[in-house]
Order: sequence, then C-alpha cells, then structure tokens
Amino acid sequence: MQTLYLALALFLLVNLGAGMWRIFRGPTAADRMLSAQLFGTTAVAVLLLLAQTKENTALLDVALVFALLAAVTAVAFVRRAWTDQEVDHDSE
Amino acid sequence: MLQWALDALLGLGLLWLAWCALMSPNLLKAIVLFVAFGLLMALAWVRLDAPDIALAEAAIGAGLTGALLLAALARLRFAYADEETVGSPAQEEAKVRFPQWLPAVPLLLVVAGLGYVVLSLPPYATGLSTEVTANLESSGVSNPVTAVLLNFRGYDTLLELVVLLVALLGVWSLDGLALGRETAPGPVLDTLSRFLTPVFILVAAYLLWVGAHAPGGAFQAGSVLGAAGVLLLLAGWRFRAGLTELPLRLVLVAGPGAFVIVALVTMLMEGQLLEYSPEQASILILFLETTATFSIGATLAALFFGGRPQDDKEHT
Repeated sequence: MQTLYLALALFLLVNLGAGMWRIFRGPTAADRMLSAQLFGTTAVAVLLLLAQTKENTALLDVALVFALLAAVTAVAFVRRAWTDQEVDHDSE
Repeated sequence: MLQWALDALLGLGLLWLAWCALMSPNLLKAIVLFVAFGLLMALAWVRLDAPDIALAEAAIGAGLTGALLLAALARLRFAYADEETVGSPAQEEAKVRFPQWLPAVPLLLVVAGLGYVVLSLPPYATGLSTEVTANLESSGVSNPVTAVLLNFRGYDTLLELVVLLVALLGVWSLDGLALGRETAPGPVLDTLSRFLTPVFILVAAYLLWVGAHAPGGAFQAGSVLGAAGVLLLLAGWRFRAGLTELPLRLVLVAGPGAFVIVALVTMLMEGQLLEYSPEQASILILFLETTATFSIGATLAALFFGGRPQDDKEHT
C-alpha cells in the first residue's frame, strides 16, 4: 500500500511538470494562474497521500491550509491582476 | 527508489521554478511561478519531515505572499500608467552610472561567507534537540517547536512580532498609492466570501489550539486569519471609519504588547526575561499565542490593504 501511495504521489508530481510548462508558456495570464491553481489542488492530493504513507495527521492540516489559501490567491488574481481584454506578452 | 524519484523531481522542479521566476521579464508570470514555487517548497518541507515549516510555508509563502505580490503588481501598473514617460529617462541614467555587475560583488561576499560557515560546521552534531526533549515537561506544551518558539526562545518570537509591526509602519509611512478602479464584487465573490470567512476563522482557531501538541501555532493561525481579512478586503468590505483609528491600532500592537508585558512581569517575578514557572507556562503561552494571532492577522490584512486605512476613505 505504501508503494502504491508513493507511486501515485510521484505520478501527480509528474503531472505538475505539465502544469509548469503551462505556467511557462502562458499565453494569457489566466492560463498561468489556473495552472498555479492546478499546482495547489495537486499539492493537496500529494499531501493527503504523503499523510497516509507517513501516518502523520499534521499533514492533513497542511493540506487544509493549502486548499483554503488557494482560493484567496485566485480571488486576488481576479480582483487585482486580471483585466478582461488580457493580452499577455512575454517580451514585456 | 520511489522516494528517491519523488525527491529528485521535487528538487529539480524547485530549481527550475526558481530560475524561471527570477529570469522572467513578465512580472505576472514571475508571481505565478513564485506561488507554484511556494507550493512545491511546502511539499519539500514535508519530505524533509518538517510539517511545522510546511504549514508556515503553505500559509505564508504559497498563500498570502502571492496575494500581496498580485496587489503590489496592480498598484505598480496603475502607477506606471501615469508615469511611464516621466519615469524611464531617469532609469536609463541610473543604468549608465551603475554597472549591472556591481550588485554581484556584495552578493558573492555573502555567498562566500555562507559557504565558509556551512563548510566549517561539524559533520555530525546532535544540536539542541536532546535538551529540548529533556525540558519539554516544564515548557507547558507538548509540541517541541511551540516549546522552543514560545518558551525556550520566546524573545525570538517577540522580535519577529515587532518586525511585522515595523513592516506595517514602513508601508503606512510610505503613504499608499490608491488603486485605480474597484468594481463591485459580484454575486459569486460575495457569496464565496460569506461562506469562506467563517471557515477561515474556524481553521485559524483550530491551528492556534492544536499548536500546543502538534504543528500549528500563532503565525500559521495568524496568517489564516489574515487571509480571511484579505478575502474580505477583496470582496469590497471596509472598516467603518471609527474602527480604523484607535481600535485597529490596539489590535495591531496587542501581540507584541502582551509579549513585552509578560516579559517584564516574568523578569520581575522570576528574575529572567520570559522565564515562566512550569505551572503557569501553559496558560501564559496560550494567552501570548492568542493575542499574537489577532495581531498577526490584522497586520497581514493591513499590509495587503496598503496605505493607512483612513487615507483611503475618499477613494473607496
């Protein structure tokens, strides 16, 4: 069971690689932010798996804080950094 | 093997994200990369068996700092919209006068100093963990991290609280730049903030309480509380004018103030700064952590708000 959990955590981390590529390439700011949100969700899943392998319930609290604060980052992005006609260029 | 692959992937991802965040000319991209970096960093702390730091990193590094940076970027854009033509010639001049490699010199000195310190460390050291474990009984809590932060080395935490307060004073004295437009929040955000704020407060209280025997404590609870404040501010909620003056300031200084009073009282009674008697340690730590939580939460939310609240009355 431990191996399965670790393998799943590894699989999710590899998925984050795809997310990293999306943050890097964009092209719009919303793409990047959504990818960061994917990071948050995946990190919650990885934490839950690691909490099982280590049998450490404190990691569940870390996952809880992750999940809550990801919402604040998303709201801050929409309210502060996002404009409707977003043209995002890397050569800025 | 699996563990090794997990750690290697985490380490490489961290390095890559850090490099991209530093090299990105697009500030928004850099911020998003920084948020992702914080999330991976928290996972790395978990892999290093440091759930306390992972919790702090999740709350501050990945959560609040991202929101703070996004707000700073919005203000920068608003400022540069006016001053782009005025500001750029002066910057060009500055570039000519200071060669770009100049900052590398002090940086290299710091790297050399740090390298020397790391290399001169003994290859194997037990540290102070045995002493902490031996004295845990008399500290009033059963979580060794909280025991160190609030009891054995309480003055560190006192000074950290003061640092936060000084940071806020710095922001206030700079006289914040007003945000350009603030559209109405809309029903989704309004509902979300109404649902989430009680959850934030509950989680903050839980983290504060659980800090006595498991990872948690004032800083983590305070930043969750601060995040609730940030969410409310983003949803367009503002203090009533009467509350921004004295009441807000009292909350801001309550944490460091309570710490200083306890430090003085313990010095008079026990002869040492912040040396609690074992019977009272538990209740004193809870008292200090509770006031610190409120102060940290209020300070972080006020940092997000920017300038002094009463200055903003005309703009909002």
